[in-house]
Amino acid sequence: MILRVGLWVWITVCLVAAFLWAPLVPILGDTTRVLYFHIPSAWVAVLALGWSMLHSLLYLKRRDLEHDHQAAGAAEIGLLFCVVATVSGSLWAKAMWGSYWNWDPRETSIFFVLLLYGAYLALRTAIEPAERRARLSAIYSAVAFVAVPFLMFVVPRIYFTLHPDPLLNTRGKVDMDPRIRAVFLAMLVGFTTLFFWMLSLRVRVARLLQRREET
Amino acid sequence: MPNAGSSFLAAVWAILRKECRSEWRTRYGLNAAVLFAVTSLTGVSFAVGRLTDRSDVLAALLWVVLLFAALASLSHAFVREVEGRTLTLLRLVASPTEIALGKLLFNLVFLTVLEAVTVPLFLILMGAPGPHWGAFLALLASGSFALATSATLVGALISQTRGRGALFAGVSLPLLLPVLAAAVAGTRNQWAGGSAAVEVRMLMAYAAATLGASLLLYDHLWED
Repeated sequence: MILRVGLWVWITVCLVAAFLWAPLVPILGDTTRVLYFHIPSAWVAVLALGWSMLHSLLYLKRRDLEHDHQAAGAAEIGLLFCVVATVSGSLWAKAMWGSYWNWDPRETSIFFVLLLYGAYLALRTAIEPAERRARLSAIYSAVAFVAVPFLMFVVPRIYFTLHPDPLLNTRGKVDMDPRIRAVFLAMLVGFTTLFFWMLSLRVRVARLLQRREET
Repeated sequence: MPNAGSSFLAAVWAILRKECRSEWRTRYGLNAAVLFAVTSLTGVSFAVGRLTDRSDVLAALLWVVLLFAALASLSHAFVREVEGRTLTLLRLVASPTEIALGKLLFNLVFLTVLEAVTVPLFLILMGAPGPHWGAFLALLASGSFALATSATLVGALISQTRGRGALFAGVSLPLLLPVLAAAVAGTRNQWAGGSAAVEVRMLMAYAAATLGASLLLYDHLWED
């Protein structure tokens, strides 16, 4: 309860600060503020994918359905954040680059993550018994885990990017106004906590569904 | 253990021979796949005409045709077992890894036959400039290897779901996107007179990585 209210207050304060306190970056103008939603969503989308794959591997090792609940829940919530990241990025691209979509490497990789989530969840809906569903989707997840780094490597070789890279640039340091950085990092913490809270709800629902199935 | 090793290879070889023989008896899978590939090739060729001077577009179209032909046919090896209710018997005589490896080899043979028909037709119908055969064949071989490893594993998963055929394309696609990107880039380079060595290495590495992961995962394929 306290945690929930705390999270609510935290994100509200971040939102207000994003609009009233943090300055705008000269060229980006008003679109600077996408930073506080877009990057945390993209981060959560990748975190959820990693979380889901980790629990898939753990399921294959330990055969505990709890890991499957975690993997499936993380994938469902990750898909949500991935859509938020894609749509907010696309709107930003329209404002800055003049088109919603042009297969920039960043757009390609987020689209790939989106496809991966979609395929994983579609595969799950098509398998009936819980153990078999858990096992087969975990196998799929494990193979996808191998595919991810290749895509990250091969795509930049083929297309060049226009995407700004404020977090990990070539000089290896964060190039941000201190106030922007403060709000951004606070939002990152807020979104990550939000993800784990939503995940815990999803996992509890999954446990209840499983118990009902067993009785 | 030379004995265990040789019996493993013998089992894989036996599965491959059995696959080829049962395919040859009906030729239903191969006919469907070749017909599909030729159909999509005709569709592409008819829609865009000859593209002699656009080798960048040709490279993309070639791999799109091959990708769709593979997506339409590579789940067949496993789905056939489930639909014919022969999988249980097969599992009695061989381990999951032996079955999956045998079917992977079969899918490779299958893709080779498919490409032997499709690729020359593509080059002729689209009016493609002469490829640099060494690089071109290396790309086809490594691309097929990478396609087959991913598609075989997904085929094994898909055969145990409801609505098998419909899901296969969608579930395979994320795994095949790196293959598509690298193969198209390599093919484009060789037509432009450059080298495709990096892309061939990339495809081989991808195939080896998915094969390695598959070998660890095959054992989990069937348990109930």
